[in-house]
Amino acid sequence: MKLFDDLPSMDHLRSEDMSLVQVIIPVESAHRAVSYLGELGLLQLKDLNEDKSPFQRTFVNQVKRCGEMSRKLRFFGDQISKAGITASPCPASQQVIDLEELEVRLSEHEAELLEMNANSEKLRQTYNELLEFKLVLLKAGGFLVAAQNHAVPAETELVESIYSKKDDESLFLLEQPEPSSKSGLRFISGIICKSKELTFERMLFRATRGNMFFNQAPAGEQVMDPVSGEMVEKTVFVVFFSGEQAKNKILKICQAFGASCYPVPEENSKQMQLTREVSLRLSELEATLDAGNRHRNKALASIASQLWNWIIMVKKEKGVYDTLNMLNFDVTKKCLVGEGWCPTFAKPQIKEVLEHASIHSNSQVGIIFHDMDSFESPPTYFRTNWFTHAFQEIVDAYGVARYQEANPAVYSVITFPFLFAVMFGDWGHGLCLLLGSLILILREKKLGSQKLGSFMEMAFGGRYVVLLMALFSIYCGLIYNEFFSVPFQIFGKSAYKCRDSSCSDAHTAGLIKYRDPYPFGVDPRWRGSRSELPFLNSLKMKMSILLGVSQMNLGIILSYFDAKFHGSSLDVRYQFMPQMIFLNSLFGYLALLIVIKWCTGSQADLYHVMIYMFLNPTGDLGENKLFWGQKELQILLLLMAIVAVPWMLFPKPFILRKLHTERFQGRTYGILGTSEMDLDHDPDSARRQHHEDFNFSEVFVHQMIHSIEFVLGAVSNTASYLRLWALSLAHSELSTVFYEKLLLLAWGYDSVIIRIAGLAVFAFATAFILLMMETLSAFLHALRLHWVEFMGKFYHGDGYKFKPFSFKLLADEED
Amino acid sequence: MGFLMTTIIFVVVGVVASVLVRLCCNRGPSTNLFHLTLIITATVCCWMMWAIVYLAQLKPLIVPILSEGE
Repeated sequence: MKLFDDLPSMDHLRSEDMSLVQVIIPVESAHRAVSYLGELGLLQLKDLNEDKSPFQRTFVNQVKRCGEMSRKLRFFGDQISKAGITASPCPASQQVIDLEELEVRLSEHEAELLEMNANSEKLRQTYNELLEFKLVLLKAGGFLVAAQNHAVPAETELVESIYSKKDDESLFLLEQPEPSSKSGLRFISGIICKSKELTFERMLFRATRGNMFFNQAPAGEQVMDPVSGEMVEKTVFVVFFSGEQAKNKILKICQAFGASCYPVPEENSKQMQLTREVSLRLSELEATLDAGNRHRNKALASIASQLWNWIIMVKKEKGVYDTLNMLNFDVTKKCLVGEGWCPTFAKPQIKEVLEHASIHSNSQVGIIFHDMDSFESPPTYFRTNWFTHAFQEIVDAYGVARYQEANPAVYSVITFPFLFAVMFGDWGHGLCLLLGSLILILREKKLGSQKLGSFMEMAFGGRYVVLLMALFSIYCGLIYNEFFSVPFQIFGKSAYKCRDSSCSDAHTAGLIKYRDPYPFGVDPRWRGSRSELPFLNSLKMKMSILLGVSQMNLGIILSYFDAKFHGSSLDVRYQFMPQMIFLNSLFGYLALLIVIKWCTGSQADLYHVMIYMFLNPTGDLGENKLFWGQKELQILLLLMAIVAVPWMLFPKPFILRKLHTERFQGRTYGILGTSEMDLDHDPDSARRQHHEDFNFSEVFVHQMIHSIEFVLGAVSNTASYLRLWALSLAHSELSTVFYEKLLLLAWGYDSVIIRIAGLAVFAFATAFILLMMETLSAFLHALRLHWVEFMGKFYHGDGYKFKPFSFKLLADEED
Repeated sequence: MGFLMTTIIFVVVGVVASVLVRLCCNRGPSTNLFHLTLIITATVCCWMMWAIVYLAQLKPLIVPILSEGE
């Protein structure tokens, strides 16, 4: 134990030391000081104005301005992405712009953009109308010509009425003041969406009681519908009718259906002339629209180059003002007071930064920065690097470590990929995983700056976890001797051979072992034999128990180190020791029996031994005797386990009560068990009050729950580790099936096509089912084993994370 | 190669790995201890895996019985 005391403290094992500090900043240097603190990123300020609404805070106007600016920036971003301009951020132009200047510039740009957009909208509308007019001219002209040519005598009077129109050339029917007596065949031409055309025709028919003639033709070109902004098919129509009332009705129906009416002159020559004019105007408008678009894109491009910088700047300002809002004005209204947490090692840096701030802002008074006493629990801060970050995230997903509690991530870095590999063991699949993780790692820089989908984001974030998982999978694959389920004889000759040279009884009695066991891993002769599964099942189940008992012991030992760190000898004597005794006298003994059975080759039935250890401890062992003195040892272990249960249940609450009375009621110092008091009972009650009342029943129930959980959990957790066996069996069976039933079957045929098809199906099945689904499944189960079985032995996980005010973190938490 | 021999090989590999890590990334006593912990954990895990499989095949109770196809 002395050795452990002499060791330096280990990185990552416990949270960094945190201290509660108070900053008093004069108002003139407040903004600068907070910006510098944001650059440093090592101070987490407490919100001292929690009870105030956002509108009662001091700097609410500035926050609103920042909000306005970020809205404008988002608008720019939308416009840029709609116009399809790729934003090429040029960090070179680091012009230091003032915030007010930026605000003015942003409003100018916004006004300019809005104006350009409105103009181009109008132009586009005119363009669309002209386009529709041209189509109507083309098609309707055809109808009218046909109508004129079909001047059958029976329709002469109708046609004559057309000719009887005034030659006034006022082509706009809609505006022509029609004398009511004029009853001639008139027409209305227009264009309507193809989908509405049929209903339109029917409606017209009903409204005019059949006294109309409808002719239509598809427009041929797609036109942009002004309402929906999409290109739709349109139909040109011409309605021939007579009478004023009919005209009004038809016009109203046209309006209702959204059909646009365009007047078409009857004479052919006039039509051609109008068509030429319209085409000319159309090409002019196109040119104008193009010019307008180019102008707009240029403006957008110039914005796009600076957009990223502006966004960051506005975010920083908003962050600074939000932080300033957390501070309180002091009595004189000349200073801002803030409280916060910072790591103890960072205090000199923060002091330096604050000094710079007060110098640069030319303030008369310096910034005051000093420690404060804290009653509440500090946040937890681990200084992770690029490698340990992912593992710490995995542990934090279960619960952030309590302040200065042992961090399971230290061991999980190795044991998590290792348990994954036990369930995934195949060095062919491990090589594929290694390839994948190396690709992710080598393209780190490129992938890190891109925006990835959520799945790729997770895979990229965990690339070092996957790398370790792959390396351990290769190792376990070599041990299980499986390469896409094929065994190899890499490490020497197999230990088994036929009994005689003819191998006659190889299929009935089997081979015999004639040499030392295969030096590394599972003997290759087992694969494909009939007794493969009984052997491997027995091996893997026992392996799971051994690994599980080891990991649970590690967990309990970590709780010992926690108790020692916090100076709680109560925990050591009345929690750690009975827990160790209970677990090891039952399941540690089982592990020992497994090893002894393997070493001696005894035929004892371990199920029988364990069960009868409880049911009939004094009975005769018979053929299940593995070593001399086994019966006596079993009785001793059983008694120790039985004694351990009340040992972990009863003494602690009584001793705590005694300590509490000694401490408070008698006001004697006695045994100062202060630290264990604060930690052991009611961790969630605020530690502000020192003279909390000691609720004995609550403490006793808590201890009882803890003990029962441990005792029952010892059995269930040990059994839970059998999932290591289950998943590795599933993996090996799946890959055997794919290999034998897909690849070998396809290879048996002579045709190349079938072979290639078989290879392709094998590759797909391996990639999707084995590499993806099994990886996720083994990942999940390894995670559960860590979170419940390992961390349940010592971890509380009820802390909160240290979230400093940092510009880097602000930039990282993207929209 | 017996059980003891291979165990000694594992121990030697572990020691060599920790020496290498100490030589190449020496970043202060607490970080060194962290690296040492990682190496020791990895060595122990790998050794346990090998030892379990080796011991299970030391004196087996069943032997491979070939199936019809072979």
